[in-house]
Amino acid sequence: MQIKPILAALRRHKAGTILIALQIALTLAIVCNALFIVHERVDRVNRPTGMDESNVIAVQNRYVGSPPNFVPLVKTDVQALRSIPGVESAYATNSYPLRQGGWSTGIQTKPDGTKDGVPTALYFGDEQTLKTLGVRLIAGRNFNAGEVVTVQPQQTPSPPQVIVTKAIVDKLFPNGDGLGKTIYLSKGKPSTIIGVVEKLTVPWTDFDHLDNVTIMPVIFNSGYQHFLVRTRPGEQDAVFKAIPKTLYGVNRMRVLPEKYGVRTYDMVRSRAYEADRGMAILMSVVCGVLLAITAAGIVGLSSFWVGQRRKQIGVRRALGARRSDILSYFMTENFLIALAGVVLGVVLAVGLSQWMFTHFEMKRLSFTYVLVGVVVLLGLGQAAVFAPALRASKVSPVEATRSV
Amino acid sequence: MFSYYLQLGLRSLRRNPMLTALMVMAIGFGVAASMTTYSVFRATARDPIPQKSSVLFNTQVDAFGPENIEKGEPPPALTYKDATALLRAHKAKRQAIIYPVSVSVIPDDPARLPSREGAYATGSDFFPMFDVPFIQGGGWTPEDDEKHASVAVITKSANDKLFNGAQSVGKQVNLDGRLFRITGVIQDWAPQPLFFDVPNTGGFDEGASVYIPFTRAVDLQLSTNGNNNCVAEPAEGWANYLQSECIWLSLWSELPTKADVDAYRGYVTGYAAEQQRAGRFRWAPNVRVRDVMDWLDVQRVVPPESQVSLVVSLGFLVICLVNTVGLLLAKFMRRAPEIGVRRALGASRKDIYAQFLIEAGTIGVAGGILGLLLTGLGVLGVGLVFPEPIARLATLDPVLILLTLVVAIAASVVAAFYPTWRAAQVQPAWQLKSN
Amino acid sequence: MLKMTHLAKVYRTEVVETYALRDFNIDVKEGEFVAVTGPSGSGKTTFLTIAGLLETFTGGHYHLDGVEVSQLDDNARSRIRNEKIGFIFQAFNLIPDLNVFDNVEVPLRYRGMKAAERKQRIMDALERVGLASRAKHYPAELSGGQQQRVAIARALAGSPRLLLADEPTGNLDTQMARGVMELLEEIHREGATIVMVTHDPELAARAQRNVHVIDGQVVDLAEEPRFHAHAHLANS
Repeated sequence: MQIKPILAALRRHKAGTILIALQIALTLAIVCNALFIVHERVDRVNRPTGMDESNVIAVQNRYVGSPPNFVPLVKTDVQALRSIPGVESAYATNSYPLRQGGWSTGIQTKPDGTKDGVPTALYFGDEQTLKTLGVRLIAGRNFNAGEVVTVQPQQTPSPPQVIVTKAIVDKLFPNGDGLGKTIYLSKGKPSTIIGVVEKLTVPWTDFDHLDNVTIMPVIFNSGYQHFLVRTRPGEQDAVFKAIPKTLYGVNRMRVLPEKYGVRTYDMVRSRAYEADRGMAILMSVVCGVLLAITAAGIVGLSSFWVGQRRKQIGVRRALGARRSDILSYFMTENFLIALAGVVLGVVLAVGLSQWMFTHFEMKRLSFTYVLVGVVVLLGLGQAAVFAPALRASKVSPVEATRSV
Repeated sequence: MFSYYLQLGLRSLRRNPMLTALMVMAIGFGVAASMTTYSVFRATARDPIPQKSSVLFNTQVDAFGPENIEKGEPPPALTYKDATALLRAHKAKRQAIIYPVSVSVIPDDPARLPSREGAYATGSDFFPMFDVPFIQGGGWTPEDDEKHASVAVITKSANDKLFNGAQSVGKQVNLDGRLFRITGVIQDWAPQPLFFDVPNTGGFDEGASVYIPFTRAVDLQLSTNGNNNCVAEPAEGWANYLQSECIWLSLWSELPTKADVDAYRGYVTGYAAEQQRAGRFRWAPNVRVRDVMDWLDVQRVVPPESQVSLVVSLGFLVICLVNTVGLLLAKFMRRAPEIGVRRALGASRKDIYAQFLIEAGTIGVAGGILGLLLTGLGVLGVGLVFPEPIARLATLDPVLILLTLVVAIAASVVAAFYPTWRAAQVQPAWQLKSN
Repeated sequence: MLKMTHLAKVYRTEVVETYALRDFNIDVKEGEFVAVTGPSGSGKTTFLTIAGLLETFTGGHYHLDGVEVSQLDDNARSRIRNEKIGFIFQAFNLIPDLNVFDNVEVPLRYRGMKAAERKQRIMDALERVGLASRAKHYPAELSGGQQQRVAIARALAGSPRLLLADEPTGNLDTQMARGVMELLEEIHREGATIVMVTHDPELAARAQRNVHVIDGQVVDLAEEPRFHAHAHLANS
């Protein structure tokens, strides 16, 4: 291909060349960072909790008044929930995955360990917890009803039996013999690992140890309770409507908050990842509009160049250039400009990523994204220039003889 | 001449409707994206209490020790021991401890369901210190604090709900089965960011509808509805909890002068030194006394999403401008013959500048109007992108409308500088030579 | 009216200096109709661009209407072009986006004239060239001869002291060319000073005086073997 004459021609159109290259460079910088953010956020949104989330309903309940003991109220409510037609299982807890609020502590393997233990989220529950969550027990056994103990406010829960996630046993007992071992959630109070679940995540979406969870057979003496309910397939809607009626039927002195009182797990999930989803949407829209504007800009400037060079094109045609020669001239010209643009763009993209890394604690751009961005923009440039180039190739050799 | 140039500009824009539409859209989209994200950024980065933000200070005392904190920054909240000790010392013009509680408001009408309301337990200084606007009555008195009185201040919404908006000062409100006497009704007041309760709300929250005395809340053993962090596990019972190293309280002070601030900071440092001497702190005094804006900054109240999207959309605007520069250049240079003729007929460079900048300005106005419409849509759609407590703060007010138009026109005129300069360089002799 | 003495115009590139005009002397009196002739590349168009203040020159002096113009800045030169000079180009150079009326209006606009006066002058000028009825037409809707008449109307509308024409009939067929030439002669009879550049000896013969340019210098025709112009146009 005749690259030298193209470069010579471009030197005579410095401003236009620089503008297109600059636009491609900036677009690349923004688009690959934005796509990377989209990817990161979508990854987060799709993170599994380890639960079988379909057919699960979460209830937030606050008892009104201050009786000395809330435990009987809680037990009555759980019984009432379990007896709703269509309900498979139900239990009361302090928290669950994606709730964005809950308890955490450090697990020690010695009774008086002083070092930071292995961080874990704490979930209260009973013998129906595993079934309701839909998590897989890979070793040991479930709790039985008799093991459930009551914990008072301001007291650290440390029951004799606990079930932990695989992530925790792997960390505490790398030899794989964690089942049956004793751990300490509170100074001097031993708990035995009676079961291990494959995976279950913490309540928070930003936590360094997502899979570190301890489930304990505990009922908490508090006016603030959450209930998780698993329904039989196809009965979620009916149960969803029945829950408030049932609970108010049992006891009117309670509050189920308007917005977050009764939620399906879909609602819990979408609320937890609201900001991530929003960011992904915003960045996708920005990418789309940006690519469209850049393409339109290339079409506009290329058309102008073609218009400006009609006579020149006519002369070339008169001198024997084929249509395909003219077409490939403009395509190559655009490719060279775009190439210069993406080289600059890669530098800008990495720079922008570095800047966002230091300012907003974001992850560094992965190289795949730069590569994808480069390919997308080179392709976009070629696609955008095609129509004007085709028009150029249709210029008649007669143009050579026209005076203006 | 202005109207002549305007007329010429409009005529020229009509000549190339596609190119014009492209430029108007580039400006419109670029400006709308920037303005929409700016509206969110502005909402999150603003001063919640501009008239007093420089005299209101949050106090931090490190009760956790260097191994339990990050980068030497003291924890964002105080222990009961430290907060009450500093309050008792009366070293500030006004001072109040604040912590969130959740209460059930039980209506007198048994047919109506009780409702859960956000509440703050605080001191009598809270109301004058933060300029809380009262519509009935006033705050409770320091004596009420002393007497651990069952008094409350409620918001207009709560008053509407409980008393149908009637005069309610002196009436009782039933919170969790206990009666509190209402001393005043305030507007639905929740400055955003909610500076006095950042650690528990992240800065954006609807605020509370009930306020009760801190002393009374402690008596009732109302635990915090926010975060509670302990380095060491407290012994059982409320009394032990109060004496523990658990942090859950905020302490705000009003310090009108620089001297007051220095004296107060000195006092807090001295207090921490005393704790060190007494053996409670095994580390040197590590305290912070920060005003509202410093505090919001350190607590990173502006969500990174808001900043990243502002940066990205400013980049977007720059690209739209580069795009417009290219298109204007094409458009103007295509008219080089016309420029040559005008120059030959006596147009000075200034005339050419004026003509083409005004043409670009009309694109800016059109882009601005499109941008305004899109910004309006964008602000409505902010809820799809940002969490509700932040999204509801983004509004299209007159300032934003004006800013959108100004940015659009300024952007297109800036974009037009280079192409116009090139146009003005066209030699008047060009016409004779080109043939 | 127009007096150039020892005027020089040099085009410099990195390697060579090219003299487009050297030691160029000419003196056109008020009310004269002068034809500047010469072969292609002789410098006659360069002379016209300098005379019309479209370009600057490198050396010598140029007095226009008694004013030395070499020191004037771009603004002042623009004003003189606008007020004292009328141009007629070979390619007409009408602005395609503007209709006839608006084209004639262009120089008046830059003079900052009141709308009523502008309109009066435009209509007078168009009447003069016989195109008053075409005021609302666009250049593309007119024949070449009509376009050149519009261009002449545009040159006349500002009542210039000096009319500069560059091959005014070069792009026209003979019939239209004759019409345009007659119009120029009529304008001259009414008192205008006209300098016309042409390579057509027949056209030149209709002027009062001929100035011949070769290699950027004025050549005294008296010393050259005089060639006789044909008395009538070739193919009439």
